Amino acid sequence: MKTVKPPVCAFVKSGVRPGLALWLLALCLSLPATLRAQAPQATPPPPAAPRSVQFPKPVEKTLANGLRIIVIERSSTPLVTAQLVIKNGGEVDPPELTGLGNMLADLITKGTEKRSATQIAEEVEALGGSLYSSARWDSTRIGVDVMSSKIGPAVDILADVIRRPTFKDEEIERLRQQTLDDITVQLGEPGSIARYVAARVVFGDAPYGQPLAGTPESIARITRDDFMKYHRRWYRPDNAILVVGGDIKASSAFGLAQRYFGDWKKPAEALPPLPAPKPVVSAEPRVVVVDKPDAGQAAVLVARAGINRNDPDYFRGVVANSVLTGYSGRLNQEIRIKRGLSYGAGSQLDTRRSVGPFVASAQTKNQSAAQVAELLLGEVSRLATGPVPDIELNPRKAVVIGNFARNLETNAGLVAQVASLAVYGISFDEINRYIGSVQNITASDVQRFAGSHLDAKATSIIVVGNAKEFLPELRQKYPQVEVIPMAELDLNTALLRKKKQAG
Amino acid sequence: MKQRKFGGWLALLATLFISSVFARDSFAQVAMPRINFDEKTLANGMRVLSAVDHSSPTVAIQVWYHVGSKDDPPGRSGFAHLFEHIMFKATRNMKSEMMDRLTEDVGGFNNAFTNPDVTVYYEVVPSNYLETLLWAEADRLSGLTVDEPNFKSERSVVEEEYRQSYLAPPYGMLEYLIEQQSFTTHPYKRPTIGSIEDLEAASLENVRAFHETFYRPDNATLVVVGDFDPKQLDGWVARYLAPIPKPAIPLPRVNVKEPQRTAERRITHNAPNVPLPAIALSYLAPSQKSPDSEPLQVAATILAQGESSRLYRSLIYEQQVAQSADATPDLREDASVFYFNVVLASGKKPEDVEQALLTEIKKVQDVPVSAAELDKAKNQLVTNELRQRETSNGKALALGSSAVLLGDPNRVNTDLAKLQAVTAADVQRVMKQYFTAANRLVIYYLPEATKTNPTTSSINHMFQLRPTAAIATSIGQRGGQGK
Repeated sequence: MKTVKPPVCAFVKSGVRPGLALWLLALCLSLPATLRAQAPQATPPPPAAPRSVQFPKPVEKTLANGLRIIVIERSSTPLVTAQLVIKNGGEVDPPELTGLGNMLADLITKGTEKRSATQIAEEVEALGGSLYSSARWDSTRIGVDVMSSKIGPAVDILADVIRRPTFKDEEIERLRQQTLDDITVQLGEPGSIARYVAARVVFGDAPYGQPLAGTPESIARITRDDFMKYHRRWYRPDNAILVVGGDIKASSAFGLAQRYFGDWKKPAEALPPLPAPKPVVSAEPRVVVVDKPDAGQAAVLVARAGINRNDPDYFRGVVANSVLTGYSGRLNQEIRIKRGLSYGAGSQLDTRRSVGPFVASAQTKNQSAAQVAELLLGEVSRLATGPVPDIELNPRKAVVIGNFARNLETNAGLVAQVASLAVYGISFDEINRYIGSVQNITASDVQRFAGSHLDAKATSIIVVGNAKEFLPELRQKYPQVEVIPMAELDLNTALLRKKKQAG
Repeated sequence: MKQRKFGGWLALLATLFISSVFARDSFAQVAMPRINFDEKTLANGMRVLSAVDHSSPTVAIQVWYHVGSKDDPPGRSGFAHLFEHIMFKATRNMKSEMMDRLTEDVGGFNNAFTNPDVTVYYEVVPSNYLETLLWAEADRLSGLTVDEPNFKSERSVVEEEYRQSYLAPPYGMLEYLIEQQSFTTHPYKRPTIGSIEDLEAASLENVRAFHETFYRPDNATLVVVGDFDPKQLDGWVARYLAPIPKPAIPLPRVNVKEPQRTAERRITHNAPNVPLPAIALSYLAPSQKSPDSEPLQVAATILAQGESSRLYRSLIYEQQVAQSADATPDLREDASVFYFNVVLASGKKPEDVEQALLTEIKKVQDVPVSAAELDKAKNQLVTNELRQRETSNGKALALGSSAVLLGDPNRVNTDLAKLQAVTAADVQRVMKQYFTAANRLVIYYLPEATKTNPTTSSINHMFQLRPTAAIATSIGQRGGQGK
């Protein structure tokens, strides 16, 4: 039997419960009755009755200094994750000092009033854990992940690095050199280059256009004073959230928070207001090729502005994006499964405090880069041209729901998810409402979202690779293509091209 | 404090299979939750391992085939991995990609990977789909019906996987060289990804013959972990898997012995797209079943895990001669390779960095590691293992790996004691025994003076079916591009 149709998946709610019940398990594979009637070896047996699950509920309190503490108890594995979230990230880097927040996140683990860089690493690793810290968009996350028996000393070190970093000149210079080398390595990878270029193309000189890790020029400029100012301005209890998740009682977690963060003083000066979400800037779409003749494969991206995290269209966007991305999403269907042009194609709707990017991408051999660009763009456009059939839409919703639930299965995933909701000021009830919100999205919601937010006419194309293999084909369709040799690429500005040196 | 790693996901994936697994009563004041499993062997030779865990209403299903890239047919390097991709195409009762309909479409996922020793297929689905997936796994074990266009298209996907994993990233080809050059005789010298030429030569006839030779119940281990009823599982196994006949023909096994190295060998490789020069040292080590595996893992952890490790402290922090420094005990069934790879800091000379690395190795040979370092390494290894076992799929990987690669599923619960027993003297002994000049391969990986096209060649390691972080998710680390 070679023509089994893709099963249709119906969503069945097995009841309404309070708390964080997830109904993903209520997904039902309904096969045509005629198939069920055949010999059991020839057709898949239908599913049994679904079961449900409850996720632990976050509890929280706020310390007198304004620090918000959120605890999620779950004792299935003897591990605890503690993550301190600063509610700003790369978007508050001054334009000439891009990469400052990220480099600062690295630097705070390199020495405090009590501990040297070496002692910090030794102490935290002796606990079996690791201390991670990095700036992202809209937040900076510093955390430890340890066996539950080690959480006390781990939070001690966490609080120390956040509150009392010393910013020694020697450490700054060492880290500066390391950061420059890291950037050099990143800029050897076509995919990384393409993502940096896409950010500049979509957001221009606005904050989200800046490279989060900085540029060789900006990293060279940063001074100790810049670190001190940044730390004083943003690392303060009333601009932070401590999220603790795993095998720990809420009362113990609150006790640890009070002990190590309770006397963290809130500065007298007012907290700078969060930048208000900016309206979508409709930048002129561009077609940019970065010519890297030694690239072993081309990275192809199509990118445009998407939506912000608090947009009422959020769930429409999530579901619309899921039709395009994932293993069986349209992009991978067309590019990998049907044509063998890539190991994987997908898209990302990156929602942030202000409007974030929508990016569809794939890597392919240099010769097929122009074809892959057309396929990416074609699939994104097609989403607005007609409703997605239910037989396709329902499985994609199941994917969204399954991914959501699996992300909550590990401590680190659970803490990251709760921290993100907290950063964007979203109620934890959303965890409970998530599945319903996804289920409620209709084919016409998806089509309307695609029409208003994924219009291909406002979409730019970025290709990084060996241009002589694909440029003639790309240029036929896009005579306006800008070609930038790798040696002339400048990520400091939206122009993307180094100014010609005199002489 | 970010991890400074290159080849990150490969190294991590490899670690999954090389790290031994631990039992309860850890020295680390933490009870490693025991995996209480059930074991049986069907009349057709198929082994079934199962463990109930109701913490999430999902179930992980894995089928481990004891065939890897070391079993690639002659002139067909990369075939075991290409074959793994073909297992998602048409079977007797399923059309191409139906596995995705049965998993992804109901909120689950599937993936597979091939390494030099094994090929593993896995699915995580809502638990009410367990019977459906057992039927599907039985169906593809019973036979493939893939056609020529689907075969060719999937072969192109594998070629793109090769480019994405080895040609696009700056140090992909260094990983390849380490794998390829570390063995001279054993088929481990053939990279798991193979070569474009060999992949292009592969045919549907090869697919049929490979399935017949290696995809048989007496070469398979089914692992089921999660939310299920053991009686129901037994019934479904009896119904769908037990009837598959065991072939009469013998199962071929690789019996080649890799000879001991007798003198240092040095290779200089100039490649395109090398942002900073890099060096690698590789040493041959015994099979992962050897009792030396635990001390070698402790040694690797002391040398290179985290910013308090010897190599980070010395090469990156104090001397500032390296951008990254890794040590990987790539433990395998027949013979292992322990390798170091170091990307140089800008402006440094490979000769100097090689000397600095050798000095650190010599220190561990000359002076026993401290008790504090030993404890730290054990804590790190236990914590890694706990993270891996957070999910049903992670538990199933630990169980399957013990059964198939270590030869005894009970080791999933008993190997912690072995790790706990490792002493500073053990670490010193294995460092002296294996890290000798005569057992050393040195690779200098340098930029080309002039630009040329990248060479197409082949690489060894573990290859996943899809560019996803599915395994990564199970150990709670690493992002990914999604499926």
